[in-house]
Parts: sequence; structure tokens; C-alpha cells
Amino acid sequence: MNEDVSRLMDGELDDDAAVDRALAALRRDQGADAWACYHVIGDAMRGNAPMSPGFSRRLSAALAAEPTVLAPVRRVAHPATFAWAAAATVAAVAVVGWTAVSLTDAPDVAIAKAREANAVRAAEVRTPAIPPDYLLAHQEYSPATAIQGVRPYARAVSFGVPAER
Amino acid sequence: MRASNGRGAVIHRGSRLLAAGLLCWASAAPVLAQDAAGLLGRAAEAARTLDYVGTIVFQSGAAVETARIIHVNDNGEEFEKLVALDGPAREVIRQKGEVRCYYPDAKLVRIEPRTFRNAFPSLSPQQQEALARYYVLRKGAAGRVAGRDAQGWSFEPRDAYRYAQEFWTDTTSGMLLKARTLDERGEIVEQIAFLDLALGVKVDPALTRPTWASTPSDWMEKRGRTGTATPGDTGWSVTRLPPGFAKIMEGTRGTGRAPPVVQLVYSDGLVAVSVFIEPRGQARRGVGRARQGGINQFSVKLDEHVVTALGEAPAETVRQIALSVSRR
Repeated sequence: MNEDVSRLMDGELDDDAAVDRALAALRRDQGADAWACYHVIGDAMRGNAPMSPGFSRRLSAALAAEPTVLAPVRRVAHPATFAWAAAATVAAVAVVGWTAVSLTDAPDVAIAKAREANAVRAAEVRTPAIPPDYLLAHQEYSPATAIQGVRPYARAVSFGVPAER
Repeated sequence: MRASNGRGAVIHRGSRLLAAGLLCWASAAPVLAQDAAGLLGRAAEAARTLDYVGTIVFQSGAAVETARIIHVNDNGEEFEKLVALDGPAREVIRQKGEVRCYYPDAKLVRIEPRTFRNAFPSLSPQQQEALARYYVLRKGAAGRVAGRDAQGWSFEPRDAYRYAQEFWTDTTSGMLLKARTLDERGEIVEQIAFLDLALGVKVDPALTRPTWASTPSDWMEKRGRTGTATPGDTGWSVTRLPPGFAKIMEGTRGTGRAPPVVQLVYSDGLVAVSVFIEPRGQARRGVGRARQGGINQFSVKLDEHVVTALGEAPAETVRQIALSVSRR
């Protein structure tokens, strides 16, 4: 079941029977959870920030307002089949970011873990400011500081966060 | 995790692209290694010893900020004030062995004790050799910066472990008027330049005093956790140091309130990468990478410690250093 759902998500199901199987699986009680779980994992691995509450609803409304596309173009190239990778192996865990995501977990636990991993990953993607204390401690010794005079301190003060967490 | 992640697979890319980005310099002949050290030493000397008042523009990634800078050398003692001109009000005062950062919106003063090794270390013959071996220094075109006659220079890296740097120095004093850091694709990741500069004027030291003579009663004074450095053997080392980087400092730093933080500093003569090692419980930092313009940081957990490498080097360089930290 999970494999079909995963492949469906990656757009890899070519024959109608497989698509029907996957959709049937989604209708069963665990199917929707698996669908959501794989998307959260996929987002985490791609470094996408979690969607805001109500996103799906707004997206649906926006889609409803769009003209109908009669012949959707099938995606040919996949950057990577994230959901499949997640379904296939827990090796994905390393990529997600040092948080154990196991498919033996109940979906809600897996989602929580993936969200947690996503937070780590999203923080990475947003490239947080470097802590000013380390920056200043570094600049004390860096030849770049001496060459530029005080100006490297501009970094620590104007771009630094005022207080440490 | 550490070992398997540590391969610097992408480190060979980019030099060619970078060279393309620096085409405007390509016709100039490389300059001798002693000249590189001389150029850097002269810039550092001028920044330290001269009095000046100027406006600087600082671009880091997509962010651009301007600041007013006042620098006084009063009989060998340095006084400096930096005031942010846009964004939230910020002020940095550097004097008497400390740096004070004022954040009026947060009613906060951060105080960092600093010993100011601001004198550019006179490079040893070995370091000069490293500079010459890992960078090509070219003399660029003469031009103008902040209304002053300036000479352009470029430090082109010979490998992908370091960024390219472009400098413009004041023709008369040797002071750095403009500096650019370019990434492996030849794009500017950081840029700092004087917009105007009064150099060689006598500046009243009173102008470098903070706006707040004493800390207002409802403000908080916060002293940095990293305190001052005490050089010494730490038992830590970096096993896969990128070529050209040599250790220039090893020691511990702290305020006495918490377990000390180990600091190791490695330099290739032009830039440096610091490694900080602190107990995990103490570290309230995330792992992963961070970047601010031309400075990259990589943090990783190592047993009961958090290891952080940061410096004016590409992400892959700080990552490799962070991932190869181990006990001697």
C-alpha cells in the first residue's frame, strides 16, 4: 500500500490499475496519513518550510478559480523521488537531518519527527545569522579583521541578533 | 557520520568559472609574494594608526547597510565608533580593551572583552609562501573610491578552498577603501566600501564616545559568554585541514561562569577559520550551516560536544574543518 501511495506522489504510476490501487489505499484509514506523512518528509528533505495552516484550503480555492486544464503535462524529470526514498529506506533519516524517521512509526509520530527535522532543515535553508559572540571571537584573530580595521564589526552589530536566545 | 560526511567532493569545481569572473584582471601580471604581505600589512597599519571619519556601505548577500565610522589613534591607543545609519539604531564602541554594542530598541548593551590583535601579524616566510602558493595577486586598474585615488588588487585563489578577494587601496596611505569577496561562481557575496572618507585629519577623541555616557538604568548589560582567550594546548586538532591553512592560535576562552570554550584558529595568510568546541549542554546552538555574506559556519555534534567552524571561507572549507575535528 505504502509503496503505491509513495509512487503516486512521485508521479511514477503509469498504469491505471496501479493508480486505482493507490487511490483505493488513500481512501482506507491509514492511506491519508501515509500521504500526509510522505509529503512532510519530502518537504523536509527538499528543505521546504512547512505549509501554513489552511494552505490546502486556499490552494483548493485558487485551483477552483483556475480554468480547467484538459491535458495535464506529465512531469518527465524528477529531481529525486523523495517519497519513494523515504518509503524504501530509513537511510533517508540521515538526509532529513539527524532525526530518526522510521516508517514503522505510527504516521502521526513520523509526521511529528519529520516536522522536527524540517525545522532543523528549514533553519539551515534560511541560513540563520552567525552568533555575534563567536563572530567577534573569530574576528579577534582573523587577518581579515586587521586588513579591514573595525569594519568587520559592522557584521556583528548590524546583522546580528540583539540578544542571544 | 563524521567520517562519511567529510569528503570534500565538490572542492575542485569552480576555479575556472572564477577565473572567468575575474577576466578584467587577467591581463595584469602576478605580483610577488612579498608584495602581497606588504600590501596587506600596509592596509592594516593604516587602519590602525590613522585618524579618519567616513561613511561605509556594507553589502552582505542581499542586505545593504550604511554606517558612520570614526577612528582615532591617540598616542597609540585606538578609539573607534561605528553608528548604523539605516535600520534599527546600532552603535559599536571599541576602546580600552572591549567592544560595546548598543541596541537601544532592545535596551541592551553587549560587552565583549577584546585584546585587539589588530596589528596585522607580520607574516612569517612560511605564511608568505602559503599566500603565494594558494593565491595569485594581481595589480588591477587605478581608479577612484570615495573620491580618492585608489589602486585595485585581486587575490585569486588557486583552489576552491578559498574565496577570491578584490581590494582597492588608497594610493597615498595604503588604507583599504573597498573590498569585495567573490564566491566560486564569481559572484559578489560581500562588499564593503567607503562612500566618503576624511583621512589624515585630526579627529577629537570625544567624538568616539558612546551616545550613552553610562548604561541607562532600565537597560540590560550582557557580557559575552566567550570572554577572553587563554592560549594553550587544548588536546583538540583538525585532521583534514585544507591546504595552506596553518594554526595561528589554540586556547580556551570563557568568562569563568561556564566551562571554557576551546578555540582553534587556522589561517592561510589572508583569511582565517575558527573552530569552537563546547560541551553540548552548554551550547544552545543548532547544528548545520549558517552564512552571512562572505562568512560561512558549520556546526556538528561530536560526542558530548558541539563543534562549530566559521570563517571567511567557502561553505565546503568550514564544513570539512568542522567534520574533521578530533581529540589528539
